[in-house]
Amino acid sequence: MKIDIRLRSVLAGLLLVATLVEIILFMKSRRPVFVPPLPHVAGASVSHGSLKVRGPETAPVKIVEYSDFQCPSCRAVPPYLESLFKSYPGKIQLTFKHFPLNSHQWSIYAHQAAECMNRQGKFWLYQDTLYSKQVEWAPSKVAPVEILARYAKELGADMTRFGACMADVAVARDIYAEKDEGNKRQVSATPTFFLGEKRFVGPKEMLERGDNAFRQVLGLPPKPSAAKKVEPLVPKPLAGAAK
Amino acid sequence: MIRLNQEEKTYRVLFLGRLLIGLVFAYSGFIKLMEPVENFQGGMAAYEVIPYAVIPFLARVIPWIEFIFGVFLITGYLPRLSALVLAGMSWSFVLLILYTRLVTGALPSNCGCFGEGSLIHLKPLQVVVMDVFNTIIALRLTLVKAHPFGLSALLKRKS
Repeated sequence: MKIDIRLRSVLAGLLLVATLVEIILFMKSRRPVFVPPLPHVAGASVSHGSLKVRGPETAPVKIVEYSDFQCPSCRAVPPYLESLFKSYPGKIQLTFKHFPLNSHQWSIYAHQAAECMNRQGKFWLYQDTLYSKQVEWAPSKVAPVEILARYAKELGADMTRFGACMADVAVARDIYAEKDEGNKRQVSATPTFFLGEKRFVGPKEMLERGDNAFRQVLGLPPKPSAAKKVEPLVPKPLAGAAK
Repeated sequence: MIRLNQEEKTYRVLFLGRLLIGLVFAYSGFIKLMEPVENFQGGMAAYEVIPYAVIPFLARVIPWIEFIFGVFLITGYLPRLSALVLAGMSWSFVLLILYTRLVTGALPSNCGCFGEGSLIHLKPLQVVVMDVFNTIIALRLTLVKAHPFGLSALLKRKS
């Protein structure tokens, strides 16, 4: 009788596990990862927003970055990307995509300001300012609109256009359209990088695996310890920045 | 009408705890399993104290453990073992967060427990509170010898 109960119990367990595994595999197979077509800079028909692309169209390594300006980990990325551009001149093209996280209170304001600066051809400079001065605007108690406007002014923006753009709902819609594209690609954290269909989540992953993935595309031998090149890996979160 | 004895009446409170812990883990595991493994891998790498070499392995194994034992706890299959496993996992998350805070002086802004697309967003310190609570309840469930409402109890009944 006891053996019978045990056998019944083991069989029920096996059946339960098999069912659960089957459910997961079935659901996962029905949810393929969306891969958008690669962006084309010149003569492209862009349906929303303006592309934020750095590097030549002919570059063999095309990186797409989904990032959030209020995210502390994302602050570590620009120096690393800068080192990549220097190490592989003309070989890398970077496309930035907005991905303001819901958990970051002022993120959407920063992304809207950056998109407005993009429309004045100053996105990359403004991006660097947002990251380097994250400590100033991210812990703000009120929406940091004035601080963001000051940064824009310091970079020589046309403030009339900037102001009108900051009030334009269509710009926010474009930002969320990019985020929506990220959601379709199952981006869940920032920064997330794509090299074709390969995905690297977070600065550490990018440092550990990204560099060698680029080298593979370029037909170069892998580097043994890519992570030791750039410090710090993840900066300490700012006081009050992690909302 | 079904008559419950005293032990079963007391168990009803723990039963709610069992369902809650089971749901939290099953949901967390399910969300991770539905997403590309690199997302969880990146979430783990944000805790800089975890050796990078083991992260790809852990990122593939942990979601399955969470999901399967979470469902086991909900359905009451091997409830004591499931509660023990989940207590161990809850406690190891607590230790991981505290150790990371101690060693690096910083914590990731998001715990990495549930994805951006999920309904739950927790900061690491909120996870510490939740996991301490989960550990206590799960250990209490491990010490209970008989779990009346569940698959194991049903299977033990004489047919």
